[in-house]
Amino acid sequence: MKGKAIGYFGISLCCAASAVCMQGCASSGDSGKTQIEIVQYKPEAAGYFDALEEKFNAEHDDIQLKISSPNDAMTILRTRFIREDYPDIIGIGGDINYSYFVDAEILADVSDYPGLQNIKQAYRDIDEALELVPTDGSYAVPYVANAAGVLYNRDMFAEHGWEIPQNWSEFTALCAEIQSEGILPFYFGFKDTWTCLAPWNAMAVSLAPADVTKQVNRGETNFAREYREVSEKYLDLLQYAVDDPFAYGYNDACTAFARGEAAMYPIGSYAIPQILSVNPDLNIDSFVMPANDSADLNTLNSGIDLQFCVMADCKNKDAAYAVLDFLYEEENIQQYIDAQIAIPCKEGDFALSPMLDGMTQHIAEGRMTDYQDHYYPSEMAVDAQIQTFLLQKDVDAFLLKFDTDWLRYNRDIIRLVQDYEKNHGN
Amino acid sequence: MKNERKRTFMLITIPILALFVCFNTIPLIRGVIYSFTNFKGFGSYDWVGFRNYIDLFSDARVGKSYLFTFKLAIVSTVVVNVVSLILALALNSKIRAKSFFRGAYFLPNILGALVVGYIFNYFFTYILPAIGSMIGSDAMSRSMLSDPDSAWIGIMIVCAWQAVAMNTIIYISGLQTVPEDVYEAGGLDGATGWKQFRYLTFPLIIPFFSINMVLCVKNFLMVFDQIMALTKGGPAQSTESISYLIYNNGMSGGQFGFQSANAVIFFLVIVTVSVAQMKFTGKKEEQL
Amino acid sequence: MMKEGMTKKTNWTAMVVLILGLSAIVFPLYMTLVIAFKQPSEMTNSVSGILSLPKTWSLDNFREAMRVTDFWNSLKNSLLITISTVVLSIAVHSLMGYALGRNKSHSKFYSFVYLFIVSGMFVPFAILMMPLAKQTAEMGLANWFGVILLYVVFYMPMNILLYSGYLVNIPMALEEAAKVDGASTWRTYWKIIFPIMRPMHATVAVLTALAVWNDVMTPLVILAGSDQNTLPLAQLNFQTQFGTNYNLAFASYLLSLIPILIFYVICQKQILNGVVNGAVK
Repeated sequence: MKGKAIGYFGISLCCAASAVCMQGCASSGDSGKTQIEIVQYKPEAAGYFDALEEKFNAEHDDIQLKISSPNDAMTILRTRFIREDYPDIIGIGGDINYSYFVDAEILADVSDYPGLQNIKQAYRDIDEALELVPTDGSYAVPYVANAAGVLYNRDMFAEHGWEIPQNWSEFTALCAEIQSEGILPFYFGFKDTWTCLAPWNAMAVSLAPADVTKQVNRGETNFAREYREVSEKYLDLLQYAVDDPFAYGYNDACTAFARGEAAMYPIGSYAIPQILSVNPDLNIDSFVMPANDSADLNTLNSGIDLQFCVMADCKNKDAAYAVLDFLYEEENIQQYIDAQIAIPCKEGDFALSPMLDGMTQHIAEGRMTDYQDHYYPSEMAVDAQIQTFLLQKDVDAFLLKFDTDWLRYNRDIIRLVQDYEKNHGN
Repeated sequence: MKNERKRTFMLITIPILALFVCFNTIPLIRGVIYSFTNFKGFGSYDWVGFRNYIDLFSDARVGKSYLFTFKLAIVSTVVVNVVSLILALALNSKIRAKSFFRGAYFLPNILGALVVGYIFNYFFTYILPAIGSMIGSDAMSRSMLSDPDSAWIGIMIVCAWQAVAMNTIIYISGLQTVPEDVYEAGGLDGATGWKQFRYLTFPLIIPFFSINMVLCVKNFLMVFDQIMALTKGGPAQSTESISYLIYNNGMSGGQFGFQSANAVIFFLVIVTVSVAQMKFTGKKEEQL
Repeated sequence: MMKEGMTKKTNWTAMVVLILGLSAIVFPLYMTLVIAFKQPSEMTNSVSGILSLPKTWSLDNFREAMRVTDFWNSLKNSLLITISTVVLSIAVHSLMGYALGRNKSHSKFYSFVYLFIVSGMFVPFAILMMPLAKQTAEMGLANWFGVILLYVVFYMPMNILLYSGYLVNIPMALEEAAKVDGASTWRTYWKIIFPIMRPMHATVAVLTALAVWNDVMTPLVILAGSDQNTLPLAQLNFQTQFGTNYNLAFASYLLSLIPILIFYVICQKQILNGVVNGAVK
């Protein structure tokens, strides 16, 4: 009797299990249309992409487009990759994840996509540079970029007659002047470690070679040499910043800047929406971080914020290209850059946000260099190392650790690079 | 009769154990296998033998995270158990508005990490320093979380604040198993207050004390949410917990293989600590 | 079966402790409430500013938060998952806790199984995540049922620890009496032991429900961005890489706190009404 009861218990559990299983395995067959699925990693642009999806499906009978903008998309993508359940197109940033994906050979070569020719050369170069070792193909189509420099309170600058600085000495003089008038030059939110990278990147692009990490990987130089000036100048900036910047987070810094508690905030254009949410009337502009003593050598720190990659697994590349054609229509890009205060990667006559006024010249001339941190492996936690350095103010110790850690965290990449060098006879 | 009992227990145990092995042990073994590779979490990978394990023991960052995690876990465990025992005794005694109090003390456990993070960040960054400068204390007028020496205290406070609710519930349910007549008999012998607790109540709830110790050690050694909400490992990498490294560098970063090795060692460490703990309290239980 | 302490006086020491301790709860709750009602433009970095009352007490934030998270749908999913997990956990874990708790002191095998399962509690989820994502997909379990099944496995160690701990205080004499009447072990369990463990069922229900209710990672990894969200998954909407809308987020968290609080209050009554006291006598 008792045996039976247990048996029933077990059988019913199994039934429940298999029932749900069947239901889960049921496929979602459709009317012969080609299905294209995009997963993109910017949930803040979900509204925009939902509207695009609808518009596309209304215009096309042969292709059914699905764009999802999930939260924590990188985790989801990694999970799907491990299951070998690839979407057709992914929208990701131009950072080290992209480098890894290229290296893992899960992205398709899109050099035969005609639309790629309309993308600004500067951004195509950035994507080429992100490849761990040079490859023959192209694996992404840049969509929009962001830029980092210094955001400033335009009204405050106008009121006091302050000018946008062109080189390092003008910059420090300006900071001293602002401070002497009893106003705080900078707010920082170093409690959120990633924000330590914003001024770092913005200065490093003008003070260190753009491909410094690759040079180190090839064993041609070290960071102690290339990053010394950046480190020293970063410490100089600290004296103009809010007291104990490590107490405040990114959100605190945005709020403080929005409330006019500081004249400038060295951060990327991506912070503008958050700042405006606190004070929609704030008159913001931005300028290129004038880290170099010579104005001509200052370049804008700009990297790819969103780009689309077709997966190697994609069954229908033509349909994927048709979708890309649609995404890169001028009208659609303009809508995106208006909503997200972004910089288009496509050539053409786009209207940029007035909040990027101080950067337009560099953008037009293509004087742009990618974020250095796009080459740093995230597990090395360079942001935390910079935070430590800013707290301890010991340049030598910081650079020494940077060099040793770099070799340790990039061991496999360095070996890859050296193999490549050997095989390609350099 | 005896056989019937044995067979029933076996029939219960085997299928449930199978389920457990299928969804816990097997994936764990797969994870252990990754710890011998340089897998990034996707794409191809190579076997690297014991390299990850050797690296692990020479990695200063990992060593530091162990020190921090254990310091945090030990202090939090003591604080939480003391506070929640007091609360459980108070909530279990004859008080007014019992349901209200029990509900209120449960709240910290259900506020989401985002809310807890924001509020306590605000508290440590603005409110506490404001109080500090009001009473003229220099040490208190700076943010606790911005100083590498004191940030762990802030995290400990939040961990304790959240964990007390759960441990209190377990102690309360333990107190329900203490029969009333124990107190009545004790009352006749003149045992009241501390004495009553020490010699009558506490020995009877030792099983719950041991459960709470194990759960505390587990929760605090594996602390992650509070770190993400408060410091993200800063300042100066002083609050990187082991789970934080495993998750951030393994899942989000490209160190999946290496951090799998870290997770394996970490797992063995906690199991050892907890089994020792259970053995110890188990002996105590038997003595009674 | 006398109700506890009808004759005792109110314990004022306990009252004072509880009222003092309450400030540690009321203050954060107050902040949560005012922030949930404020607009982003009312956010400041000053102490007086954050503690001040919102300009208007409008429910707009709550309405907007419900829209963004597709509240009713996500709530339905969350409830479904939580309730199923709790019911299954109570049935499966109490049974296992009973089998292990009654045998682990005299049998090597059960003692081993007990330690084996309990140590499963200490496996860092991060190491299981990727293998589980793969395994569930291979087994066709990348769906709600898979998530529930995983929860039943994940919380098994903690709950078995709780159940077998509770059994220590339940005398064997109760079972033996039933056995004399000729009842089987299986029957004895459901008729005698299971009801007696009611306070522990309530405790397990609360702890399991809470863990499931707030969990983000399991559904995120197992369902991998299908359109069905639980509340915590939907709440990720408020945080993006470069900005967080705290006001909407707080409103949303307050909303999602209500069901679990109600559930707790109900269970709490069960923990209190434990029959052990009466039965042991």
